[in-house]
Amino acid sequence: MALVGVDTTTADLVRTALEGDRDAFGVLVESHWDRLVRLARSVVGDAEAEDVVQDSLVVAWTRLARLSDPQSFGPWVSRIVFRRCLRASRRQRGRVSLDAVPEPSRWCDPEVSVSAWQVLARLAPRQSAVLHLTAVEGMTDAEIARILGITPASVRAHRRRARAGVARIVRGGTS
Amino acid sequence: MRDPDRDDLVMSFEDRLREWSRRSPNLPTSIARTRVLARLPEVSRPVPWLRLAAAAALVVVLVVAVWRGSPRPAGEVKGSIAWNCPPPLDRNIVVWQLDDRTTVYFALRPGEPDKGGVS
Repeated sequence: MALVGVDTTTADLVRTALEGDRDAFGVLVESHWDRLVRLARSVVGDAEAEDVVQDSLVVAWTRLARLSDPQSFGPWVSRIVFRRCLRASRRQRGRVSLDAVPEPSRWCDPEVSVSAWQVLARLAPRQSAVLHLTAVEGMTDAEIARILGITPASVRAHRRRARAGVARIVRGGTS
Repeated sequence: MRDPDRDDLVMSFEDRLREWSRRSPNLPTSIARTRVLARLPEVSRPVPWLRLAAAAALVVVLVVAVWRGSPRPAGEVKGSIAWNCPPPLDRNIVVWQLDDRTTVYFALRPGEPDKGGVS
């Protein structure tokens, strides 16, 4: 029942924001900021994630009238973030410094700081996003498909390739 | 063949990914909100009736434009001369009825062929 309440509140905030109420949109920004930054970090890395999310939220404001179902603000804005991440990752391709991934046996060593980004940066953006939405957000294939604008079958294919890629990178230390 | 979904390394990586993702954003939520709101452009959101009125006006303009541009039946031509010649009142009088309100009479005087009369 709590979820219904949350959804109703989100829908109300979207409707109020549609009437031009910036404060209502501000509440939406606050409630989705952390989640959106987490998604963007997994696709474009720390350096650009927060800028991408800010840009995406401004775009979301200008396109709010196109949101047909106010309750689906979360997936809708995630999709905008993901698309802008795709653009950013195209720009940064070849500019990301990929340090060698430490041996898996040393991952538990507190002196070895293995950033998940060192692995994610070697994957295709869609693979990183699928892995993130599966492992971190615990979303279903249908939910992920909605955000990425692909079919659930494609989500499964991307996840299989992403996991195979991770295994290859971690074992070999290269892509 | 190895199933990547059951690979220990992959499971271990996903644990690390969850841990890595738990970090808070550099920008606190409240500041993020302020920054985003400061960047929001003024978006005019026309009310539905305004859109309807605009659509109706557009339709009217289109209809008028099409009507003005289309060829009209010959009877509706204005400004052109309808060469209607009723029977002359006299042998030497020619009547041209240009339209319902305009009738032109030509009186031809005999014996002056050099002035346009009938010889």
